[in-house]
Amino acid sequence: MDMDIPLPDELELLESDLHLYEDYLEPEVYEIEVDEEKRDKESSGSPILQSNSPDFSSAALNSVTESSSENGLKRLRSDDADVLRDSVLDDVEPSGGKRSRTDKPEVENEEDWLRYLPPTENNSMAEEETNLAVKEKTVFRFVSEIDGDFIPITAPDSDERVYVKLSRSGDKEESKKLDLKERHGGIMQENINVLLERAEKEALTKTLEASYDTQLDAMPPQEPVMHERLWVDKYSPSSFTELLSDEQTNREVLLWLKQWDSCVFGSEIRTTSDEVLSSLRRHFSMAQHHKLSSLSSTRKNKFPGWKAGNFRDSTFSDNKEGTTEGIQDTWSKKSRLPSPPEHKILLLCGPPGLGKTTLAHVAAKHCGYHVVEINASDDRSSSTIESKILDAIQMNSVLGDARPNCLVIDEIDGALGDGKGAVDVILKMVSADKKAERENGSKDQPGKRSSKKGQRSVSLIRPVICICNDLYAPALRSLRLVAKVHVFVQPTISRIVSRLKYICNQEGMRSSSAALSALAQFTECDIRSCLNTLQFLYKKRETLSAEEVGSQVVGQKDISRSVFDIWKEIFHTRKLKLQSRSVSKSRNTCDKLEHLYSLLSYRGDYELILDGIHENILQLNYHDPVMHKTVKCLEMLEVSDLMNQYIMQTHQMILNVYQPSSIITIHRLVAQVQRPNIEWPKSYQRCRALVLEKMENLRSWHCRVPPLISRHINSKTFVEDLVSPLLHIISPRTLKPRAMHLLSEKEKDDFTQLVNVMVSYAISYKQIKTDPHSNSSRHEATLDGSVFALDPPIDGFVCFKDYESCHNVLALAVKQLLVHEVENKKILQGSNGKLEPLSDAKQVNHEGTRDKSSKGGLTKTECVALSAKNNTEGQKSYSTQHHPSTSTSASDGNSAPGVNLKSSGVRKNPSLGSSSFFDRFRKPGSKGSQTTDSIDKKEITLQRDLRPLLFKFNEGFTNAIKRPVRVRDFLL
Amino acid sequence: MLWVDKYRPKTLDQITVHQDVAQNLKKLVNEQDCPHLLFYGPSGSGKKTLVMALIRQMFGPSADKVKVENKTWKVDAGTRTIDIELTTLSSANHVELTPSDAGFQDRYIVQEIIKEMAKNRPIDSKGKRGHKVLVLNDVDKLSREAQHSLRRTMEKYSSYCRLILCCNSSSRVTEAIRSRCLNVRINGPTEEQIFKVLEYIGKKEGLQLPSGFASRIAEKSNRSLRRAILSFETCRVQQYPFVSNQAIPPMDWEEYITEIASEIMKEQSPKRLFQVRGKLYELLVNCIPPEIILKRLLYELLKKLDAELKHEVCHWAAYYEHRMRLGQKAIFHIEAFVAKFMSIYKTFLISTFG
Repeated sequence: MDMDIPLPDELELLESDLHLYEDYLEPEVYEIEVDEEKRDKESSGSPILQSNSPDFSSAALNSVTESSSENGLKRLRSDDADVLRDSVLDDVEPSGGKRSRTDKPEVENEEDWLRYLPPTENNSMAEEETNLAVKEKTVFRFVSEIDGDFIPITAPDSDERVYVKLSRSGDKEESKKLDLKERHGGIMQENINVLLERAEKEALTKTLEASYDTQLDAMPPQEPVMHERLWVDKYSPSSFTELLSDEQTNREVLLWLKQWDSCVFGSEIRTTSDEVLSSLRRHFSMAQHHKLSSLSSTRKNKFPGWKAGNFRDSTFSDNKEGTTEGIQDTWSKKSRLPSPPEHKILLLCGPPGLGKTTLAHVAAKHCGYHVVEINASDDRSSSTIESKILDAIQMNSVLGDARPNCLVIDEIDGALGDGKGAVDVILKMVSADKKAERENGSKDQPGKRSSKKGQRSVSLIRPVICICNDLYAPALRSLRLVAKVHVFVQPTISRIVSRLKYICNQEGMRSSSAALSALAQFTECDIRSCLNTLQFLYKKRETLSAEEVGSQVVGQKDISRSVFDIWKEIFHTRKLKLQSRSVSKSRNTCDKLEHLYSLLSYRGDYELILDGIHENILQLNYHDPVMHKTVKCLEMLEVSDLMNQYIMQTHQMILNVYQPSSIITIHRLVAQVQRPNIEWPKSYQRCRALVLEKMENLRSWHCRVPPLISRHINSKTFVEDLVSPLLHIISPRTLKPRAMHLLSEKEKDDFTQLVNVMVSYAISYKQIKTDPHSNSSRHEATLDGSVFALDPPIDGFVCFKDYESCHNVLALAVKQLLVHEVENKKILQGSNGKLEPLSDAKQVNHEGTRDKSSKGGLTKTECVALSAKNNTEGQKSYSTQHHPSTSTSASDGNSAPGVNLKSSGVRKNPSLGSSSFFDRFRKPGSKGSQTTDSIDKKEITLQRDLRPLLFKFNEGFTNAIKRPVRVRDFLL
Repeated sequence: MLWVDKYRPKTLDQITVHQDVAQNLKKLVNEQDCPHLLFYGPSGSGKKTLVMALIRQMFGPSADKVKVENKTWKVDAGTRTIDIELTTLSSANHVELTPSDAGFQDRYIVQEIIKEMAKNRPIDSKGKRGHKVLVLNDVDKLSREAQHSLRRTMEKYSSYCRLILCCNSSSRVTEAIRSRCLNVRINGPTEEQIFKVLEYIGKKEGLQLPSGFASRIAEKSNRSLRRAILSFETCRVQQYPFVSNQAIPPMDWEEYITEIASEIMKEQSPKRLFQVRGKLYELLVNCIPPEIILKRLLYELLKKLDAELKHEVCHWAAYYEHRMRLGQKAIFHIEAFVAKFMSIYKTFLISTFG
């Protein structure tokens, strides 16, 4: 049962011993003899095995496959009648222990049971155990265990590999024998009944085969039909070792598939696969050590306390056979927690014809899966695809093939509308899985887990391989994030040529290596197209020459390339071979131009191509002493631009055919042998985006500026004439950060003027968070990490790279003051515009606030006895009621322009009406008396007004209430 | 308020720079028969001021009461309806707008606004049906379609409204429109005129003007009155009392172009061209119109160039500007000009100095 050690081990080994991998071809040939032997003994076996042998003619092969599959079915049916044990053994037998893993789940149980039975129960088991003991010394699974020379031996049917020690020459023979024994171990152990039955079956098969053969002989016209089988199918690799694609990719795909083993195949595989997984996760050397120790020790005490702590508390009723040993318990529990790989989906992408589909099929088959393929020819609407995927993932076929399914979704990028259904379904499953995992991670209670089990059923429990050509297709965007992505690279030409050569030899077609390599190059290593071309030629003329390949239209692909490839093609020229004569040279250039033309017109996106050229052209290293080439290239770009514009305006798309010509001209001018370093054209788009943004800023600002001014400005004049002086004007050097009352009269005037300008141009400062990278903040970084920036950021219009503008930046204190003043002024203007009728009291209020704000605007008292100065002012404004003219003259004398406006408003309005809120409470009679005998009371009032008592009502919402009122107004 | 706005003449009588034009316009309006008008001239010459004064002359002070509106037009264009948003200034008697802001949809604006105005005509004080005035800015930026649609509507609704068109260059206004309007050319003010205006402002502000200072500003202003007044005020803010040799702060973008020009003169190679491209992008990013960049660049280059090359360089500048206007991506064309200049200059250097 040592044969149960699965492939992941081997894979890991391969990782470490790359060079060994190349050796396997030799032993394979050697092994074939063994295989023949085996075949004689065995019945027809599996179809894979047959197609593997290359010397079979296709016709025979086909018939054999057919008959064998029939046979297999028959055999199974007959097996049904047999006792259970027999069938089990029969299942185990044909391919040795290796195959058993790939069998139905029921078989797994049986095997489990087998393994854990004491050796005394089964004689054959005991026998094998002894065999094992001998074998351990000579045949190894790991190179690391061998300290001398060794030979890797691979069996062609199962691809299992063992390493045979070479240190003792005598042992070699023995080891081979042992190896043989390993293969046929199952047969030896069978009882006579089974063997007899086998012999009977064999006879039946042979007769069947014979009948087929005679049929074929009898009907010769059928032969050419068989012969016309496409070479592509005929020679498609059927085993992992035959794959042409990049080995790194192959191995990674295989490894990924192997990671599913634990989840798909249950515990019997887990013994090692878990170990591999854990070792993969850990450090390599650690893993190595671990493996060694585990092998040296006996199986039973391999993982004495392996994660036991995690599972001990979980109450699981063991639904296996009931073997309740401690170790077994943990194993079975583990099987309840299958751990599929991190990425549940594998996304293979690459250009057509490199063998993606083949790899997926072969790898899946190799790992013992039954491949279910969904491709573009199937109905892929989301409803049907969902049921299909669910079927594939959750069901197993009852008849015949009992292997678990592996879903291969081919051409997933192909159909955008319908193909999206598949992507969505898969994503849904993955996300459901993730959710379940998260739940599991957060709550490790057993109760939760059982409820989660229902959810699990919808999630992915079988490997899914998606295949696409264009990784960056929009439909795959979301899939890309969750899937493990493998990009196929072109295999080397030599590899392809050797394969082609082999096929040519097989088919009896004469061909030269040069011609084949030319063909491979021409088709860009597309093996499918190579083979198709070859077959076509074979039918036609039976020869292939290097010159023909170029001239032949067959096999030429019109794939659209990525725009980067096109830029590369434009800037890059291949070195012409020295031996090419002048005639062929001219033809060559002609061909190249044609090629470029077709490339460009397939792609079509001329504007982007031109942008890319423009972005990169000056970075090239072409020889250009007086810049003639550059001028010419830019001229070509201009022409293209003009053409583009014309086409866009007139919608004459047909003119697009002339677009590539200018690009080809550029190619002729600047193409270099050395590889260009190409960047994506960002700057033009960036420029456009920024311009739009700034224009938007400008427009919104323009709307806020009063129409009297804004009508004279448009965006052009703004940036051309206005910005620079305006910035100078609003940040005068003469303005010192000083308190208001310390400013001289002239400075005060300047300040008011400045505030005026800022208000009329709707400019202010606003607080923003400091951006440590911005240039301006360096001057004025404050402690609290915020700075004042211009509110419509008009200073952005004069900031150029590498240019130091000489604009003065105001000090922070000044800015704060300005912000405050501008706000005040705005409110003032607003109220001025809206509240037309202004009363005396209102004016007092304003005067008061103005004075206060001019002193810093910080003192705010609720019931204030105003100072003497205010007092006189108040008196004056009080007298406004009777003598409007004096009031205006008085306030004109000592007020800023803002107040001017206001007082003019007063002048206009008839101030006699009691428009103030508080005026209503006054007794009209007393007012009248005041007017009549004003001369008498004048002195008294004057006396009283020296120290007026003001009342300010601070609640309420309007300015009509919230203002200081003299107490005497209430008293009168 | 800046001085530019503060000392802007409000009525036709106050206008000093284009006095003759103002008087003619006054006569025109007083005779009650105002044709469509097309004002054209360089920026900063006072077109808009003149137009505003004219409107005030027509309708009196009520024309000053303007409201700003962000209007949205719903236009039925064949199968679908387009929403176009545009800012308009309107008083009771006139509407101002810049249709070219709507981009390629300006055609619908032009048609819609005139029809709308025709629908609700104002009735003037004498009970007669008056007419409204529609002021269109930047007519030269209108698309050809818009100009064509304007041409028909102008005739059809001429009894309802008068059009006043403003533009920088009449050459990009179609012949048809030009022939339907009374064309008024507004020159850029001469340096003496600018000088006089500056002196007037100085007197009003009570400033001491040293001799020659105002004329220096006028000289530097590129015959744009707006710029002259703005830089005058900038000087005032920066340093007062004036000194006769006081530095007049330059426009930032002009300084930047000067830098570019000197870089071009220093070295001519694709590498340098690449650096220049970066700087040109900077200018474009800051919304400076490419025509102005090209013009200024030529101006700066010419200052440093030998006389015998000037003609050729000017020729190529014109050539590339023409292509730029036809094309779409301005950077291609400016860069092509720079490359051409580099090529010419380098060839010249090699031939002269070997």
